Amino acid sequence: MQHTKTPPSRHLSAYRLGALALFGALLLPTTLSAGEPDAREPAEVYRQVCAHCHAPDKAVGPVITNAFPEAAQEAWVNYIRMTVRNGRAAMPSFRPAKISDTELDALSAALARGDFADTAAGEE
Amino acid sequence: MSTTQRILPKGVSEADFDTALSRFREIVGADSVLTEGSQLAPYTKIMMAGDDRDYIPSAAVMPTSAEQVQAIVRTCNEFKVPIWTISTGKNLGYGSAAPGETGQVILDLHRMNRILEVDPDSCTALVEPGVTYQQLYDYIQEKGHKLWLSVPAPSAIAGPVGNTLDRGVGYTPYGEHFMFQCGMEVVLANGEMIRTGMGGIENSTSWQVFKWGYGPYLDGLFSQSNYGVVTKMGLWLMPEPPAYRPFLIQYPDPEDIEEIVEIMRPLRIAQIIPNAVVIVHTLWDAGTHVERKAYYDGTESIPREAIERIKQDEGIGEWNIYAALYGTPEQIEVNWNIIEQAFSKSGKAQIMFGAEAEKRGGGFEYRSALMKGEMNLQEFGLYNWRGGGGSMWFAPVSQAKGSETRDQTELAQQILGKYGFDYVAEYIVGWRDMHHVIDLLYNRQDPEETRRAHDCFAELIDEFAKRGYGLYRTNNEFMEQVAGTFGEPLREVHTTLKRALDPNGILSPGKSGIRL
Repeated sequence: MQHTKTPPSRHLSAYRLGALALFGALLLPTTLSAGEPDAREPAEVYRQVCAHCHAPDKAVGPVITNAFPEAAQEAWVNYIRMTVRNGRAAMPSFRPAKISDTELDALSAALARGDFADTAAGEE
Repeated sequence: MSTTQRILPKGVSEADFDTALSRFREIVGADSVLTEGSQLAPYTKIMMAGDDRDYIPSAAVMPTSAEQVQAIVRTCNEFKVPIWTISTGKNLGYGSAAPGETGQVILDLHRMNRILEVDPDSCTALVEPGVTYQQLYDYIQEKGHKLWLSVPAPSAIAGPVGNTLDRGVGYTPYGEHFMFQCGMEVVLANGEMIRTGMGGIENSTSWQVFKWGYGPYLDGLFSQSNYGVVTKMGLWLMPEPPAYRPFLIQYPDPEDIEEIVEIMRPLRIAQIIPNAVVIVHTLWDAGTHVERKAYYDGTESIPREAIERIKQDEGIGEWNIYAALYGTPEQIEVNWNIIEQAFSKSGKAQIMFGAEAEKRGGGFEYRSALMKGEMNLQEFGLYNWRGGGGSMWFAPVSQAKGSETRDQTELAQQILGKYGFDYVAEYIVGWRDMHHVIDLLYNRQDPEETRRAHDCFAELIDEFAKRGYGLYRTNNEFMEQVAGTFGEPLREVHTTLKRALDPNGILSPGKSGIRL
């Protein structure tokens, strides 16, 4: 049978493993994983999350891929960060567990630069 | 309550809470315990008509393994700290990622996001709670497996464990998700771990293929409940069929719902139409891509005259049926002929598929994607219908009988109209039942309208219950009220089970109205 399994996606932290052992809870040590998730590329986060509503042909949310003038990019990056974390009207909030701080920093910078301005919805 | 004061779990001293937080940090790492207001803000974004101040967590803990969950609940038991469990937290309009009440600690399982197994032969998967449908979809595509998912409307950003445990639905033949769940791993309130079904047998090979195991079947106890924390769940996946034909049937008049359901019921029970069909009202079908103000800018419920204009301008029926056939081309042709014959009798239906259906003004394209389990969030265009970010799903169950459907539709329209809201609704057809799903859309930035939405929802619950109609699911704000409609004897059993399995009442107090 052709079963497929994914490897644990995170690093095993010795510190945390030690802390867990204190609680005597290691029933399945081979599956144990902890730590920060590997950061996804901004384009991947945009494809997996944002594009479903914000891609030009979806029109559920406003288009967010247009480049901002360099002088306004910092303000736009801050606005994106704030909107993602807090939500706004119908826009849901996204927690660090879903889009990490590292991913959000890279994503908001990429959006402000207009990196995905030509991203067609069909690319999803 | 001032939000500048420190928020503590109900009945927990500051010293005990600090000690519990220290333990949490030892278990998951300091970075995975959130206590600052800015860190917790994403958990407080709600769409339901509740007071924001009632849904503020005191902290959030983000484990990455079941063993960490065990250690967390043991700590919670020691210090009587209540935790509210979420997975992807995208149950929009049903509570999102907010706690059941202010002060609870969020147990955020989103980082437990491993796809543990996909078996393309048995068509099964075993996943953790943080796995999203998008993640599982991408994985299946990457491996080239010929398997389809069944997803709810938030698809990409939601996940199979949370949706299934809340008994959510999708739109494929596997649309009744809990029916296609198989085997769970559950951490109980005392920190013990169990596996349901065949999972208790060491080295079992049938955990994801045989639901019932031996002895009492337990899985249902862990759905819409607070008796344990599900840390792994098996589900069945649909083999990709050789052919697929989504289709659309439109009816012009309000009273046609009766004929539609009478024709649909035998076709669904006999599995001639195998998927979770939707019968979509004009305002839902238009509302995914049309704004209300284009047709009516008043504060009352949208008038009939405007609905008629929408139907005419947008090419949408009063009722729009989206369904699909799956199988070999020959099977599809046979069933298509049966369906055409059944719906043609009265001469009122327009029956179409392919290019003809695509030309109509409703949601054929995105419905076609959802009925084959593809990622699509187009349905959330509904949130632009009225604007302002308020949404609550009022979802009573109906039997699939025309007269009952008409009664529910008229009752809902009457109550919504009284409060100035629109009937934005669809029926999702199960085998013998229907979920009558109404999106109560309102402007949440307007306090008066929010209060009105709250009162409207409360009246809908009570008035539907008086006629024998109960909800299949609801949001945090109304869990207590809905639980009350199902009667005290049932609630007493729920409480007895809670007392036995979670004597300190630490797991999601208030979920489905269950608390000690």
